[in-house]
Amino acid sequence: MPPTVPTDPLAAAAADAGMSRRSFLRTSAVLATGLAAVAASLKPLFEMEDITSAEQFMQKYYKELTPEDMKKVLARVEREVEKQYGIRPHVRDLKPMDGVEFAYALNLSRCIGCRKCVHACVAENNQSRNPEIQYIRVLKMPHGTFDVEKGDHYYATEKVPEKGFFYMPIQCQQCHNPPCVKVCPVHATWQETDGITVIDYDWCIGCRYCEAACPYWARRFNFTKPSIPADRINPNMSYLGNRPRRQGVMEKCHFCVQRTRDGRYPACLEVCPTGSRKFGNILDPESEISQILRTKRVFMQLKEDVGTNPRFFYYFDV
Amino acid sequence: MVLGLLTLAFAGLAAAFLTDSWGYPAPRPQIPLVDKALLDPATVRRSYRDLIKAKEDLSDFDCYGCHEKGHPPPLRYDENHKLIVPTEHSDVVMGHGTHGRNNNCFNCHNENNLTTLQPRDGRELRLEDSTELCGSCHGPTYRDWDSGAHGRINGYWNTKLGPAVKKDCVNCHNPHSPRFPGRKPLPGPHPLRAPGVSEPTAETTSH
Repeated sequence: MPPTVPTDPLAAAAADAGMSRRSFLRTSAVLATGLAAVAASLKPLFEMEDITSAEQFMQKYYKELTPEDMKKVLARVEREVEKQYGIRPHVRDLKPMDGVEFAYALNLSRCIGCRKCVHACVAENNQSRNPEIQYIRVLKMPHGTFDVEKGDHYYATEKVPEKGFFYMPIQCQQCHNPPCVKVCPVHATWQETDGITVIDYDWCIGCRYCEAACPYWARRFNFTKPSIPADRINPNMSYLGNRPRRQGVMEKCHFCVQRTRDGRYPACLEVCPTGSRKFGNILDPESEISQILRTKRVFMQLKEDVGTNPRFFYYFDV
Repeated sequence: MVLGLLTLAFAGLAAAFLTDSWGYPAPRPQIPLVDKALLDPATVRRSYRDLIKAKEDLSDFDCYGCHEKGHPPPLRYDENHKLIVPTEHSDVVMGHGTHGRNNNCFNCHNENNLTTLQPRDGRELRLEDSTELCGSCHGPTYRDWDSGAHGRINGYWNTKLGPAVKKDCVNCHNPHSPRFPGRKPLPGPHPLRAPGVSEPTAETTSH
């Protein structure tokens, strides 16, 4: 009589390995338990049917900070800053306003490249002074081209503007479609409803993917422990804005959230001696930014071909 | 035997680290701090309106302290038909317009009442309303200024939360020579670099 061929492949394997009935049963039991555990762990996925957005998913399965928790976090940041710099700051967690979406416009006909914006930004946003981190980079560009490769950002002439050049400041463009947010593996950077892409410095792991992804070279990395003289600390701080960073995290322009979400203009605009910088709520048709985008010759969003759709516009007077 | 050698090797490494045989990297070169005064958002000039608001001494604008009422001051020109600026007004540099065509004080000042201004449309304007005067010739710029596209607005973008201060033409432009003067730029980026490597300059980086 020929030996019977087991139909069950597991049983076949067991037979091949010369497995006893007892050990086969044991293996099967373990496997069944394992499968049940996997099924149980996947259960939330099956319940996802009626969840429409990732945001909702996060809300359901991750705990959001309650206002009390946030208060504690802000108090901790204040304590840490006071310990390090001897200055008691005022740290807030300013939320985006309803019906507000920020946009920025810069008049290329007017900018003289004096770099006051660069250093007003450093002072406002508590950037490290040595090494110095600057969010704004001013390109000196020869007339007749918009090829940023031809720009020079180290210019140190006795006097600006120079004949034959125009000046193009570049900072975070606050894209509608930000590549930096897409590549962040830990969701430490995201776009808020008013259009500002922010970073949680406590959540950032410093992988610098976002720096590589940004087409505008807008993100900066703290290679060393930031050093700021105590008398240069700006005590008006915001959690997602200008609170002091630590070594190994990214930072970038955030349209001065500590000012703009309070209704004020960003620091770079306030200090611009030529009035080249314009900022406001693009959802308000009467704001100067809306008027500019409607009536002036807005030549571009920088590198618009890469599809980032910036909220930062460059325009001309004539 | 092997264990003993390993222990010795690790002890040696520990000693080397403790005594810092490799040395710490040399301290980074100092980066001078930017003068805080350069970051003041105040405008380059102060307008007559600012002076009134700050309740400052306005005796410089008391024209009839020197001039006589009812007698328009005479204008004198040199052989090239260029206006000779009297020594009492030596702070005035006539540089408004190209080719020296704007060569007459009374294109803007009112010869019959020196404390007022006269745009070309026959109105008489107070000194603090000089922006209206500028707008009587510079129409498109005035339109842009009015809508907020030209010039400076400081304070609050959200006027429900605070005031927005719109600057006048003369806060930035000297009406007698309105071209915005050049200035020395503040320092550019200081890249991280090895000790002893100098700052990049326009020469080393130019294309």
